[in-house]
Amino acid sequence: MIDIQAIRPEIIVALFAVLVPAVGLLTKNSSKICAAFSLVGVGLAFLDVFMFVYNNNGAVSISGGMLSLDQFSALFMMIFLAVAFYVILASARFIQEDRHQPEFYSLIMIATIGMMIVASSNDLITLFVGIELTSITSYALVAFRKKDVKGAEAAVKYFIIGGLSSGLALFGISLLYGVAHSTTFTGVAQAVVMNSPMQPVIFLALIMIVAGFGFKVAIVPFHMWAPDVYEGAPTTVTAMLAGGSKKMGFIALFKVLLIGLFAIKSNWDVLIGIVAIATMTVGNLAAISQTNIKRMLAYSSIAQAGYILIALPVAAVSDPTIGQYALSAGIMQIMTHAFMKGGAFLIVATLATVAVGESISNYKGLAKRTPFMAFGMTVLLFSLAGIPPLAGFFSKFVLFSSPIDASSIPGNGWMVWLAIAAIVNSAISLYYYVRVVKYMYVDEAEEGTPTEKLKLPISMVAAVAICVFMVVLIGVWPDPFFNAAQHAAAAFFA
Amino acid sequence: MLLQNVPVITLLILIPLIGAIIAFMLGKNPKASKIVALVFTLIPLAISVLLLADFSLTVGTFQYVEDFTWISSLGISYKVGVDGISIAMVFLTTLLSFLAVLFSWDVDERTHQYMGLMLILEVGVMGVFTAMDYFLFYVFWEVVLIPMYFLIAVWGGPRRAYASIKFFIYTHIASLVMLLGILALYFEAATHLGYHTFDIQQIASVSGQFGQFFQIVVFGALFFGFIVKMPMVPFHTWLPDAHVEAPTAGSVLLAGLLLKMGSYGIIRICLPTLPYGANQYQIVMVIIAIVSILYGAIMCLAQKDLKKMVAYSSISHMGIVMLGIATLGELGIAAAVFQMFAHGLITAVLFMMCGIVGHHVGTRNMPRLGGLAAKMPYAAVFMMIGFMASLGLPGMVGFLAEFSVFVATFDAFGWLLLLPIISVAITAAYYIWAMQKTLFGPLTKEVDLEHVHDITWFEAAPLVILSALIVLFGILPALIFDYITPSVKLLTAVVLGGA
Repeated sequence: MIDIQAIRPEIIVALFAVLVPAVGLLTKNSSKICAAFSLVGVGLAFLDVFMFVYNNNGAVSISGGMLSLDQFSALFMMIFLAVAFYVILASARFIQEDRHQPEFYSLIMIATIGMMIVASSNDLITLFVGIELTSITSYALVAFRKKDVKGAEAAVKYFIIGGLSSGLALFGISLLYGVAHSTTFTGVAQAVVMNSPMQPVIFLALIMIVAGFGFKVAIVPFHMWAPDVYEGAPTTVTAMLAGGSKKMGFIALFKVLLIGLFAIKSNWDVLIGIVAIATMTVGNLAAISQTNIKRMLAYSSIAQAGYILIALPVAAVSDPTIGQYALSAGIMQIMTHAFMKGGAFLIVATLATVAVGESISNYKGLAKRTPFMAFGMTVLLFSLAGIPPLAGFFSKFVLFSSPIDASSIPGNGWMVWLAIAAIVNSAISLYYYVRVVKYMYVDEAEEGTPTEKLKLPISMVAAVAICVFMVVLIGVWPDPFFNAAQHAAAAFFA
Repeated sequence: MLLQNVPVITLLILIPLIGAIIAFMLGKNPKASKIVALVFTLIPLAISVLLLADFSLTVGTFQYVEDFTWISSLGISYKVGVDGISIAMVFLTTLLSFLAVLFSWDVDERTHQYMGLMLILEVGVMGVFTAMDYFLFYVFWEVVLIPMYFLIAVWGGPRRAYASIKFFIYTHIASLVMLLGILALYFEAATHLGYHTFDIQQIASVSGQFGQFFQIVVFGALFFGFIVKMPMVPFHTWLPDAHVEAPTAGSVLLAGLLLKMGSYGIIRICLPTLPYGANQYQIVMVIIAIVSILYGAIMCLAQKDLKKMVAYSSISHMGIVMLGIATLGELGIAAAVFQMFAHGLITAVLFMMCGIVGHHVGTRNMPRLGGLAAKMPYAAVFMMIGFMASLGLPGMVGFLAEFSVFVATFDAFGWLLLLPIISVAITAAYYIWAMQKTLFGPLTKEVDLEHVHDITWFEAAPLVILSALIVLFGILPALIFDYITPSVKLLTAVVLGGA
């Protein structure tokens, strides 16, 4: 049956994405009007999804269930739309000097549509289409400042790696299709249960898919590109990559592994556990030695991906309550990370507009020049490090507690090491986060830097403020957010 | 029970928080932020005195309990309350916070931030001492780190960056290990209770059924988290660095309150929740206590920096707290709490004196000092009061505390007492030497004493109050013991039952 409501949010965003260039033409590329127009579109779509969640309707789907809107996809749509919202808000001034601004907003919205499709897909093909839609627009966004050598280099790198990983994932998908003669996740799941003689092929498909999506989410050993791309991309785009599109990769992994390949979880749970520990450790250790703040945040993002990965093996345990709890913990971490990391990159972007460089040492003495940005950065970094009462603490708390819970199930005793590794890593990460805080508040500005107060663009400050506010709100009052995550997890397993 | 229907604990937490927000906003008016800080620490002090008067001494259970659901899906609640053990710490917290703000009257660099952080610190410590929910407890526990980090990092001495990061990471790692222990308790209790809760009492009500191996492992995790904070040898190395670099009022709160969080955690959480673990760890506790007592004391003998000496003496005196706890007996634990209280008062005097010497004379290096008594006679009096109280002069609060711990130790372990008691002699030695080197003898020629003046009013006032209390509670220890004992009775009944 066809229910337009299932794809109405996507349609709204798509309409606005198509119309932005026209608005740009009519208003002589006024970045303010284009941004405002895009914000309205994103806001409307957000409202649409929010009303769906608020009314607590059952899942609606389209095209025989290829795309469906349920509590799971709705929550992720809201996250992606929120990311798109603050990115557009911050970009209004950030890309003021560039040409083709309407297209910039258009691309952001199209990328967001791709993420939304991934969130609601029940089928390998729609999943792949969503991922590619986001990826291709992201290549363009990374390359948006085409005269910037670093940006161009980053875009090329991103494009080649992205293409390669898409190929790998597609190869894995086609193998699965060969086994299952179906592209839906449930169809694959049934085939995997029945097809024991096809185990080697399924296993190969598993490796291909994990590698393919692993590139997208930058987990070790597929992470090399991320720091370069994050550094080279326009910083608001980096915020979107880190806050939004990377999360899309996790949804893909959740869906493929926890639904499609659930039956062979004993083949991948330890493997993913090892990858999780490797990812968080490599990310954190590499972050310590970074001198560029964007690279530091990029490595920290890799480490955070490692934490989120914990949710995968734990969600696959035989006890459904624990599994659901673990998945909701993973969702919670994704949600908070979207604000923490996105906000941190926005601060970097905001400061760049007033010629504060991207080297960490440029942040020395910053608290005197811009108290709000220093405060905001401190909140976001402390939250990333997991200091209460901030959002990052709560999400890490539930995330790290899930393997401890699961370890009591016979055969899952090893999972306690996931928690221990995560906690050790969390402690390591504190060092490089606190160093930035120390630079801002304790150290004197380097000689030659001006000392007057910074005048920052209001729209960017507002975007940062949204992120900081959310991080504090989720930390102090996590109940509704965690409930939403739990509903999403329940819908996912339903 | 006049205050029964007043959310008095919440007020104690909320008032400093409001004060902090106001202080932070008064960026352009340092004077106003000082007054705000003073007022917003004085009100909690007044409330805590009222609370002491209102508190029922006959029962040892928690009073003034407030319980609100906070995060329902995880069984987390905002639950606070005080029993006889925590009320002593609550009073100490409000008192020292107020005096520390008063003592900081001459801070003129980024005053509003400084005062705001002092108030946040009070919020955190107050929360730790009153929380009855593990999650809430942990949140406040970690909140304490942030203001302390900034106080050391921004207003500290020359090596402040190193010391502050060391402090932060060291104690944060310990907290994370503690968190693992808390999570283990949470899930284990859920299997016995049938529902998830972080409520400390509810978990304790079923913790007797926890397996022995589980108790040993989890006790270890929690215990580690707490002894790093106390700090006990060999996890003490962050403390001398943090103290030497911290601003004076920061040191006062660090030694007076933050260290108590560690021992409070052991008494409040480890012992009653995991009695089997406690009994198994008794020998470890005794060893750690005695090593800390002696090591801290011996290190004091070798110090040249007055403040570093006082820092090491804190390790030694917190070792006495640990020794009292390790007896697992009623008198021992009550004496340990009393020693926590006593050490809070005494160490505040000592660190204030270190600050005064460092500030007025320009150095705390004892070999370069001498004859200060002639130049600053009032300061010298307070310094002697502090030293005498700390080395355990009868009639002062420290004597009673140490004496009771030693009596309890003898009861529990017999002649093993000979080892920790050596520290009394060493303590007397280093304090008398320190006095000799700084206050008496010929005037030093190494530093310019031309402009040295005696203490100012805002330095004298806290010292007068603290000295008076040191003598008062020294002569009338029942004033504190009456609060502590009923609660400790309840607690030890659980611990000894788990043997």
